[in-house]
Amino acid sequence: MSTTTYDTAQPSGIGALVAEADAGSPPAGILDEDAKREIRRACLAAVCVPGYQVPFGSREMPVARGWGSGGLQVTLGVIGADDTVKVIDQGDDAGVNATNLRRMIARTTGCGESADTREATVVQTRHRVPEEALTDRHVLVYQVPVPEPLRGVQKSVAECARMHAEGDYSAMWVSLYEDIVRNGMITASTGYPVLVGGRYVMATSPIPRWDVPRLHRAEQLNLFGAGREKRIYAVPPHTEVRPLTFDDVPFEVEHEPGGRCKFCGSDDVYLVNAGTEGAFACSDTEWCARVQAADADTAAHRERAPLALLPDPAARAGRRAAPLVRKTPADDAPAPARRTRTGGPEWALRVDGIGKVHGAGGASAVPGTGPEHGTAISPSTGAVVAAWDVSFDVAPGEALGLIGESGSGKSTVLRCVIGDEPATAGQVHLASVDDGASEVLALPPAVRRRLRIDSMAVVYQDPAAGLDLRVSAGGNIAERLTAAGWRGYHAIRRRAAELLDRVEVPLSRMDDPVHTFSGGMRQRVQIAKALATEPPVLLLDEPTTGLDASVAAGVLDLLRSLLSERDVAAVVVSHDFSVIEALTDRTLVMQTGRVVEQGLTDQLFHDPHHPYTQRLVAAARR
Amino acid sequence: MNTNHPASEPQDAVLSVRALYKSFTLHSIDGRTVPSLHGVDLDVRTGEHVALAGPSGAGKSSLLRCVHRTYLPDSGSVRLRTAAGPVELTTLGDRAMARLRGREFGYVSQFLAAPPRTGPLEVVAATARRRGLDRAEARQAAAAALHRLNLDETLWDVDCGVLSGGERQRVNLAAGTVQPPRLLLLDEPVSALDPANREAALELIDSLAGQGVAVLAVFHDMDAIRQLASRVVFVRDGRIARQGTPAQMLEAAA
Repeated sequence: MSTTTYDTAQPSGIGALVAEADAGSPPAGILDEDAKREIRRACLAAVCVPGYQVPFGSREMPVARGWGSGGLQVTLGVIGADDTVKVIDQGDDAGVNATNLRRMIARTTGCGESADTREATVVQTRHRVPEEALTDRHVLVYQVPVPEPLRGVQKSVAECARMHAEGDYSAMWVSLYEDIVRNGMITASTGYPVLVGGRYVMATSPIPRWDVPRLHRAEQLNLFGAGREKRIYAVPPHTEVRPLTFDDVPFEVEHEPGGRCKFCGSDDVYLVNAGTEGAFACSDTEWCARVQAADADTAAHRERAPLALLPDPAARAGRRAAPLVRKTPADDAPAPARRTRTGGPEWALRVDGIGKVHGAGGASAVPGTGPEHGTAISPSTGAVVAAWDVSFDVAPGEALGLIGESGSGKSTVLRCVIGDEPATAGQVHLASVDDGASEVLALPPAVRRRLRIDSMAVVYQDPAAGLDLRVSAGGNIAERLTAAGWRGYHAIRRRAAELLDRVEVPLSRMDDPVHTFSGGMRQRVQIAKALATEPPVLLLDEPTTGLDASVAAGVLDLLRSLLSERDVAAVVVSHDFSVIEALTDRTLVMQTGRVVEQGLTDQLFHDPHHPYTQRLVAAARR
Repeated sequence: MNTNHPASEPQDAVLSVRALYKSFTLHSIDGRTVPSLHGVDLDVRTGEHVALAGPSGAGKSSLLRCVHRTYLPDSGSVRLRTAAGPVELTTLGDRAMARLRGREFGYVSQFLAAPPRTGPLEVVAATARRRGLDRAEARQAAAAALHRLNLDETLWDVDCGVLSGGERQRVNLAAGTVQPPRLLLLDEPVSALDPANREAALELIDSLAGQGVAVLAVFHDMDAIRQLASRVVFVRDGRIARQGTPAQMLEAAA
């Protein structure tokens, strides 16, 4: 290992040349005009679509990424020589970072600089909104450390983009739910998620909850820059900014009871710990100094301070130990109304000629495959015809079985109906969608995804496919409920408890992560989640396969009684005649991708006609 | 309606079977065909108790199962008079048939086909619910039916799978006869019962006719036939060999 030491006392070589060049040249802009144009374009787009993260071509800056390079680029992009810049770091104008940034901005753009918010026109900030009133003359530029509000719940960037595009924020709601369950309150400090303009969820990173209300219908323009992630987003003046919060769990700001600035004595400001035990000081040093100098309108400040949002432990979720299962109708928060059908078709789900070909050729690969040829592999193209020409419908209160050996195509049919994989051919209709007029497979993916919330639920063989194992049992159900529009924390808790009680998961386990559950318990949670919104169609894909016999029997009994007490239309996929017999009235028998026989379930069992069905029945009679 | 067949349907027939054929093709034994029914014609009227008699393998149970569509007939007609008018069962859609089964007619097989891990009360109440009673009524009716067949109350919530043959048969009969529909198909419903319980069961079945229920039953035991049947139909080789009152038929058999 070797160490190199540089002699900094005597500038020589390159250092001397640079010093000479610096001394000789006028202050040069850090950003060229193209870079500024790029930033301004992104800012304009961000203002047009409040809360939406606009990608932009982030440049290398003379500060490290993560040290405010995004905020600096936005400031340099929007500032002009007639502006006055103020830079806050942790509420402080005098810190080394703030001072250096302010000087650099002023010297490279020729603008004025000030620590007084009333004089500034562009305020670049890390961590705070100034306590002083902001006006329509102010542009507030935030240095953003974490621009993606969904980062904590979704690692995939593409999936985050989809969630924003579809306004699918149930994962965000689940994380709020889990926070309240674990801590009795929301503990997230900076980056509290807000809904901007009723459309996009945005991270308020880097400001504390205390400052979040200052974004709502603000006078100032708020620009957020994230250099590392190459994103700019904005809250234009007079935009609705609502913190995401359950209807019955109030949004709270940070507060130290009895806390008071030890310098200026203010108790209506955002306070930070100051040195000795129990002592506090204003986070905003400018405000503190002006209060001390009697140069501040403290009455107007008290008006804007979020004093109505101070924590109220009495109102908190954890403290109100309401019984979860015994419900009193009076305090039942109204659940979102469910569409009720009038008239319409007899069936709840109709599937016409569904087909799935893996590989080349599509429909032309089908000839030469099927039971009569004994193969699913197309002789012409080599494609696998997993299922072809499968049709059925299911009525409310009816259960239909799909039986066949592994590879017969039964699960493929189910996956095509759900939308887990695209069908090669065929149509699917749901009575709950336009009284069955619309072809479901032709709907956009976002609409199809919504159907899975309240029109058609699935129980997979593998609970991990239908559940987030890191989240609690209640949280998994909360995901489905919040997706369906439920916003009452207690209503969600009660509904989740009611469902878990129904599927015989002990309520003492309700707040435990599902990965701590046994296989049978996981399957019960998955069933509870599927039933959460009482969907008119329920699809069960090998619901008891993979569980040991006694556990499988329990789940089967549960499903049987759940189906008997509901008017749900169910499709049960299984290779096991005993499951099909226990749950269904009618059954389709599939072999090599085709339906070879269908009929009443007991008739297929006692009087099977097709050779394949006879083999299945014989095998079931062990 | 089968117009080819000479026999016309009597107006008060709840069930009319015409030219019913059934055979089984066993694909595992080179597609061997096993014949079962060879053109059966039969009517069962309201309040009538028709007993099917004949040697084992004659097709008595097959006839009941063809009516119930547990077996799919090869050809012929099975018409059931329902509240909504006559319905042809052989060609009725599966869904409609599944709905009709619970409500309009019942089938009591020789062996209890209860779902696993359910108790007698639940099994019987479930049938009562399918026949239109609400939850509370269904439980009441189920309790009454089990009482009537002397099934010990301590067994009411015990898994049917662990009951004795006779107990199971009584559960089965209670389920079949609770809130009785207009047609009941009984397949040897008292074969496993001891004399005391058998008597209670036969009384129950006998009381059905008084409630206007049409019964089509298979009995091996001539005493039961003598006690219950208003008509005896003798089946042999998948055909109705002869029929008449119990007195006539049992004399002829003797």
